[in-house]
Amino acid sequence: MHQQPQYTYYAEDFPLEERPRRFLEAFAAILRHSNYGPVLDTYVHVSAKCSLCTAACPVYQATGDSQDIPCHRSELLLRIYRRYFTLGGSLRARFLDSFHLNDEYIDTMAEAFYRCTACKRCLASCPMGIDHALVTHLARWVLSEIGIVPKALLVSVREQLEGETRNTSAIPKVAMLDTCEFLEEELEEIYPGAGITFPIDVEDAEYVFFPAVSDYLLEADTLMGNAAMLHAIGASWTIGSENFDGIDYGLFYSDRMWERIITAQVAEIKRLGGRAMLIGECGHASRSAKEGMQNFIPASERVPVINIMELAHANFLSGKLRLIENAITERTTYHDPCNIARKGWIVEQPREILRHICSDFVEMTPHGVDNYCCGGGGGTVSIDEIRGFRVMVGGQTKAEQIKATGAHYVVTPCANCKKQVSEIIEDFELDVVRTGLHDLFLQAIIMPDGQRPEPRRVFA
Amino acid sequence: MNEWLLWARGPMFRFAIMLMMLGMVRLAALNLINLARVAGRSGDKRFPVPAVLRSTAGWLFPRGGALTGHPVFTLSSMIFHLAMIITPIFLGAHILLWERGLGLSWPALAQPLADTLTLAGIVTGLILIVQRMSARSSRDLSRFQDYLLPALITVIFATGYLAIHPGSDPLPYDTVMLIHVVCGNLLLIALPFSKLSHALLFPVTRLASEMGWHLAPDAGRRVAVALDKEDQPI
Repeated sequence: MHQQPQYTYYAEDFPLEERPRRFLEAFAAILRHSNYGPVLDTYVHVSAKCSLCTAACPVYQATGDSQDIPCHRSELLLRIYRRYFTLGGSLRARFLDSFHLNDEYIDTMAEAFYRCTACKRCLASCPMGIDHALVTHLARWVLSEIGIVPKALLVSVREQLEGETRNTSAIPKVAMLDTCEFLEEELEEIYPGAGITFPIDVEDAEYVFFPAVSDYLLEADTLMGNAAMLHAIGASWTIGSENFDGIDYGLFYSDRMWERIITAQVAEIKRLGGRAMLIGECGHASRSAKEGMQNFIPASERVPVINIMELAHANFLSGKLRLIENAITERTTYHDPCNIARKGWIVEQPREILRHICSDFVEMTPHGVDNYCCGGGGGTVSIDEIRGFRVMVGGQTKAEQIKATGAHYVVTPCANCKKQVSEIIEDFELDVVRTGLHDLFLQAIIMPDGQRPEPRRVFA
Repeated sequence: MNEWLLWARGPMFRFAIMLMMLGMVRLAALNLINLARVAGRSGDKRFPVPAVLRSTAGWLFPRGGALTGHPVFTLSSMIFHLAMIITPIFLGAHILLWERGLGLSWPALAQPLADTLTLAGIVTGLILIVQRMSARSSRDLSRFQDYLLPALITVIFATGYLAIHPGSDPLPYDTVMLIHVVCGNLLLIALPFSKLSHALLFPVTRLASEMGWHLAPDAGRRVAVALDKEDQPI
């Protein structure tokens, strides 16, 4: 083969020589130095091929293609593990089975593992307890070590770790500062005289704030809501001008990158003497920071990781954050981002707030830990060239769910889900407004002196 | 025929049950040692035992969503498992053998109940096989062992039933008993080496799924060094 394989996503050119050998070398190195070996050992033993996961996977439900059954996808990697890294498998290969890894098989994996959104919904449906998202996660890491990774993810991480701007959206520091200034002016119109600010590089603040950096480009209302909430509770917080990006695409394709990114984020917290890492409205950033902090950062360096909705909720309960009851009269529903909801971390907190500020809050079916992925999980939302598949196939269930609620607002507190749900609304032509939790706060926060928000100007 | 039966009940059974027990002990030891190493290597040293127990219990007593996805499969699978676990251990005829061999004994199931469970095992075993073949999704996933193992278990149930009720048995008693014992022995041997190992690994896999996310610090850099690309730009 002398031609670069074409995948549904763009990938930079990678070396074509001896791909199977290099894949196995990368797999072997990862097994040797990481913790995945024991997991695969139990998986190859117990995988029962019962197909119960078909009832859980939104991608399979939309395509009906056996290739998209979670268990089938995981078997792609388990088969290699069994054949090349277990005694039974190598004996079997000698006498019974002629399976061997080739270029075509690698190309199949390169497609299959990027159709999965790593939403983990199938984990709860597997009687054996196999975490197919973990297999997807590992397979993508191995693939990335031989150069197969969606360009959209790769260039973002490259810019974040080695670029000028040190963030995935390549926002120069001055542009970020300008944005904050502009948002402060906007906030002045909503809460005149309140003096809500975006504190930059304040030393020894309690919270160092890491939103998904794309919020600075796309989610002005979320950021303003964040600042207004933090102002209302009198939080000591800051944005670090050297590293203000909470995104960590390492979670989507490489533990090697995951560790480097969280290490850089922690370095910024240490530079400023911050005491906790405050993540904005973003599911994967919250999970990658929380798990990354625990896994990769030495105990002496660790700081607590908190999602901004947790902070808002704690202060809402304590009475420090006062919100106008029934400030939102339009019907509102809530989309659970998989990375914060699946394990029950953040499910009830935003709902308690929403039930207070919305007079007509309704749930999707199912919701909470059993929610459906928006279809853009696992980094796929950043890959624009697969939008057709991601929205019309991966997002089909979510579109139906949203529509069935009849809601005016769908609250989507995650940068990834926000982009995907916007595209779902566009492509399925739904009559719904996608918003964040903090966006709604701009109509609901009562400042400590009793000040209420001015009605917003409506942009056409 | 009689010698074959004696052989199957004697040496072959002793071999099968020893192999099964040693294989299971090996599996348990390997898994626990490996998972302890995972915890030792990761920054996250906690064993998420409550979460594992919760999800194990959740599948031992499925309810809600777990039942609605594939209700026929889930229910028949549950009955099949119950029959398979309870009947061989608490069947009066089996306990008699243990008593004769090792002097051990424990209360037996009432025979009508044992019969009901056995028949339920046969029926659900057949349902599981038919279901696996008839649904495209599971047919596409299935390997040879996925048909062989439930078939083997169904044969064991059927021959066991015939052996207890020789009146309704068209075959000679010794033949039925030989098939029953040989298949039973094969099942014991297959336990540690096939997906049947979930009899032991059922909670262990869940623990592994949790521990799998307890990542090893510095693993990434070491992998880069091993692949000779630690100085390469991204």
